[in-house]
Amino acid sequence: MLDLYHVYKQYPGEAPALSDVSLTVAKGEFVFLTGASGAGKSTLMRLVFCAEKATSGQLLVFGRNVAKVKASQVPSLRRAIGVVFQDFKLLPHRTVAENVAFPLEVRGLSQGEVRRRVAGGLRSVGLELKSDKFPLSLSGGEQQRVAVVRALVGDPALLLADEPTGNLDPERTVEVMELLRAANARGTTVLVATHDRALLERYKKRVVLLERGRVAVDGGEIRRAGGL
Amino acid sequence: MIRPTYFLGRAVDAIARAPRVAAISVATIFVAAFVTGLFAAVLHGAGKLLDAWAGEVRISVYLDPSANLEAARAVAARLAGGRDVEAVSSEEALRRFRAALREQGALLDGLGTGVLPPSVEVSVPGIGLAEARTLAKRLEAVPGAREVDFGNAWLEQLERLLVRLRLVGSLLLAVLATGAAVLVANTLRLGVFARRDEIEIMKLVGATDFFVEVPFLIEGLIQGLGAGVLAAGFLAAAAAVGLSRLSRALGTLPLAGTDLVPPALLLSLIAGGGLLGLVASALAVRGELRKP
Repeated sequence: MLDLYHVYKQYPGEAPALSDVSLTVAKGEFVFLTGASGAGKSTLMRLVFCAEKATSGQLLVFGRNVAKVKASQVPSLRRAIGVVFQDFKLLPHRTVAENVAFPLEVRGLSQGEVRRRVAGGLRSVGLELKSDKFPLSLSGGEQQRVAVVRALVGDPALLLADEPTGNLDPERTVEVMELLRAANARGTTVLVATHDRALLERYKKRVVLLERGRVAVDGGEIRRAGGL
Repeated sequence: MIRPTYFLGRAVDAIARAPRVAAISVATIFVAAFVTGLFAAVLHGAGKLLDAWAGEVRISVYLDPSANLEAARAVAARLAGGRDVEAVSSEEALRRFRAALREQGALLDGLGTGVLPPSVEVSVPGIGLAEARTLAKRLEAVPGAREVDFGNAWLEQLERLLVRLRLVGSLLLAVLATGAAVLVANTLRLGVFARRDEIEIMKLVGATDFFVEVPFLIEGLIQGLGAGVLAAGFLAAAAAVGLSRLSRALGTLPLAGTDLVPPALLLSLIAGGGLLGLVASALAVRGELRKP
C-alpha cells in the first residue's frame, strides 16, 4: 500500500525534515505516526498525497513511484486517498452537504448518486439533520466528523489523518477515532499522525515514532523510545 | 463524465455568492472595453468623415486656353464613366469667381476674360478618396489638360494624418488591450484569491486542473460578455449623443451613428469583452493552480 525507501526531504537552508525514512504500510493496516512537533509527520503525509516531492529516496503509493507520477496523474492518485486535517479544511460558505459532495463531484458522479452517498455518509456520523448547515455553525467535533465523511465518502483505499483530534476535547476525540477505526474495519488503510500519547495507549495499533525526521521506533512499544 | 451544466451552475453560483467581486470584474472589463471602443469609434468616424468630404468635392480639369472645350468635355465624360461633366469657359469661370466673392467681386474689375483657365468639372458625389484619386489620374488624359485638381492637397494631408493616427491608434489599442488584460487579470485574481481555499480543497480531493479551471473560465466569460454588452450599449448611446451635439455646434455633419459605431464594432466589443474575461480568468486561475 505504502512503501518508503530511504526517503529524504530537505527544505533549503533548514535541517532535513525527513532523513533516511524507510517504512512499509500494508493494505488494511492502521498505523499511528507520532513524534514531537517538527519531527516530520506532516511532511511525510504531504509526500504521500503528492503535495510535495521527496528530495531523494523512493516513495511508492499503491505500488506507484510517486516521483514518476506526472502532474496530470496526481488527481487520480489523490482520489484513492482521503485526507483529514487538524483544522478540518471545510469551506465555510458551503453547506455541510456541499462540503461532503466535493470528492464525488470531481469524480463526475451524477447529482442523484452524489446526493445519495452524501446523505448516507452524513447519516453514518449522525449529522444527517445538519446537511444544510454551514460548518461554522457546528461544533469542532461535528466539523471534524464532516471532514472525516468527506475523506471517506469516495471509498478511498488509504486514509491520511494529520492530527485529526488536535482541536478536539477527549469526548469528541473518541468519536472521530471511532470513525477512523470503523473505516479501517471496512478495509481502508489508515495512517494517523498524532502527538497525543493517550490515543496511542487507548488504541493498540502499530506506532511509528519519528524523531528529527528519522524513524526512531517502528512497532507497538512507544514507551521504549522514551515517550514523546 | 461531468455535464457542462454542472460547470455553468458552479460559475453562476460563484457569481451569486460574491456579487461585489463580480461587479468589480465587470466594471473593470467594461472600462477597458468602453475606452478601447471609444478610440476605435473615433478612428472609424474620422475615416468615414474623410471619405464623406472626398465625396463632396468636384474634380476640376484645368485646360490650356487654346484647348477645344467641347472636345475636352466629351473625353472627360467618357473617362468619368457617365458622371455629370460640365464645360466651364474662361468667362464663365471668372463670372463664378466674381459671384463667389460677392461684394468683393469688384476687385476683379479690369482683369481680362482669359485670366482664369477654361476647365471641365466632374461631379463625383459619394466617391471615396482612393477612387477620386484614380479618376483624377484618368482625367489627365483629357486633351489640353494642364492640371487636375480635386482638393487633393488638403484631402491627402488629412489622409496622411489619418494613416498616422491609425498607426498610432493601432499601437495604442494594442497597449491598451494588453494593459486592460493585465488589469482585468489582477482584478479577477482577487476573486480567485478569495476562493483559494476552495481550489486547494478541490485539488486535495482529486480535482483535475480542468475541473477547477472551467467554472472560473465560464465565470470570466459571463462577466466579460456582460461588460461587453454594457460597453457596446454605452458606446452606441455616447455616439448618438456626441454626434447630435457636434451637429448642433458645427452644422450638418455627414456622419450617422453607425458611421462611428458600426454593428461590427459593437459585436467586436461584446466578443472582445468575453475574450478578455476568458483570458484574464485563465491567467488568474492558472497562477493559483501552479501551487502544489
